[in-house]
Amino acid sequence: MNTNHSKLVVENLCLGHRSRLNGKFTTACEDLSFDVQEGEFVAIVGPSGCGKTTFLSAVAGLMPVASGRLELDGHQLSGPGRDRSLVFQHASLFPWRNVFGNVSFPLQAQKRLDEKGKKRIQQLLELVGLGENGDTYPRELSGGMMQRVNLARALVTDPELLLLDEPFAALDAQTREVMQSELTRIWQADEVSAGKTAVFITHDVPEAVFLADRVIVFSRGPAHLIESVPVDLARPRTREMKRSPEFLAITDHILDLVMQQSDEMRSASHGHSATVVA
Amino acid sequence: MAIAQLSSPRSGTSVQGKTPAAQRGPRRYEHVLLGLLGLGAVFGGWQLFTSLGIVDPTFASSPIGLFGALVDYIRSGAIWAPLSSTLSTVAWGIGISLVVGIPLGLIIGRSRILHGLTEPLISIMYSVPYVVFLPIIIFWFGIDQQARIVIVIWSSIFPLLINVVAGSRNLDLSYLHVAQVYCASRFLTLRAVALPATSPYILAGVRQAVGRGLVGAIVAELFMGSAGMGYLVQKQTSNFQMDEAMAAIAVIAVVAITLTRAVAYFERRFTSWSTST
Repeated sequence: MNTNHSKLVVENLCLGHRSRLNGKFTTACEDLSFDVQEGEFVAIVGPSGCGKTTFLSAVAGLMPVASGRLELDGHQLSGPGRDRSLVFQHASLFPWRNVFGNVSFPLQAQKRLDEKGKKRIQQLLELVGLGENGDTYPRELSGGMMQRVNLARALVTDPELLLLDEPFAALDAQTREVMQSELTRIWQADEVSAGKTAVFITHDVPEAVFLADRVIVFSRGPAHLIESVPVDLARPRTREMKRSPEFLAITDHILDLVMQQSDEMRSASHGHSATVVA
Repeated sequence: MAIAQLSSPRSGTSVQGKTPAAQRGPRRYEHVLLGLLGLGAVFGGWQLFTSLGIVDPTFASSPIGLFGALVDYIRSGAIWAPLSSTLSTVAWGIGISLVVGIPLGLIIGRSRILHGLTEPLISIMYSVPYVVFLPIIIFWFGIDQQARIVIVIWSSIFPLLINVVAGSRNLDLSYLHVAQVYCASRFLTLRAVALPATSPYILAGVRQAVGRGLVGAIVAELFMGSAGMGYLVQKQTSNFQMDEAMAAIAVIAVVAITLTRAVAYFERRFTSWSTST
């Protein structure tokens, strides 16, 4: 494995929760290995409940690593760090702070809320299309707008690695389409964060293919790597691209992989005899 | 159990927070006017009955007598000593309740074991009328101001605790995750995340604590006072000075309304974000 140019290295990673009640260890990821290159946008898909979100929590530092390597720029990750930002699944904005206040929180936490920081916040709000909404409170925002603030909050620290945890899962289909295009635009446009390394979790395969340079397919839980599928589609990507044969071929291939895992999961839960089908 | 006793912060703020907004303009004046009219009717009737001799003003006082006594109180300055005594009892009692109750409630709410240990105790102490502890508190602390402050704390801290514990338990974990991911210090997490997130509960608790604390102070003065507004009412009634007693009650009413309105104002001011528009 070419670890020299790798931003994020995952090797033989094992993650899990220990139950508070009986002390039993439930494995979420087992013997997971792959890496993410500098400037690469990687999407992770897999059957629901396979441990994608647990994996991302571990990278964000919200969860301890049980064993194996999980390295960013050659340093084993343990706990949260200023070099990573997480775009939360449910925007998790502070309702008592306005949009500007929410985006400024990471800078405040890291004692970087100076004039330059404030300018950067305004710049990012304009980038995500909320330049006029700095004084607005979250309760007045739509779901899509909340996720824009969520994204701006993550970008404001200028992180080395941007983590996105199914940020569009709760949005309606139309808003989701818009936000996907917006995310590619923002990811390419922001001159400070242009070409940032990003790891995006989703259960929506076309979304993953549309956004990513490479799609990583997780097995059913406990998760390990099934396949790493490169997406060689030109950028900037447009909505029309979703109907192109190349796009559909990649999507179909990944869908097959995911469905196979889902079927295995279903038959596994139905008893031993059914596993023969897989 | 605690849920049933909790005064819901959301409904609390929306009831008190939305009424003025809904009644802007002419409707608002109408509301004030009707209130004054209702008060005027009661006072007018009271005055009429005493003037006609249907009730004896020696027992029932009268609005004119009350007003005269009130003016005398203020002119002679006789009201200030008992008033400041009551106010300082309330201020000390509520102040200690807040300083102890808010952090204690936050800590109890974050710990499963502490909550389990204290929940029944707090519920019992909240439910039992605190007045029954009066003789015991007199036995322990005497009848000085110190004892009166203890009564105010006793009466106000349990509703406060119940609300703060509920707020602390309901603290959304995702807010804490945001603080963690962006490497906020413990202090910033407490000040800028945990405190505002629980502030609707805290302020609902403060509203209850202030109401009950004032009652506690007056009851304490009635029973064991040598000073304060409660003692004044008690003394004047014993001396058949009904005008003075009624005037003292009017002053207590003003204090009570001012305190309640002040807390309601803070609730609106600091938790407007929690009411949906």
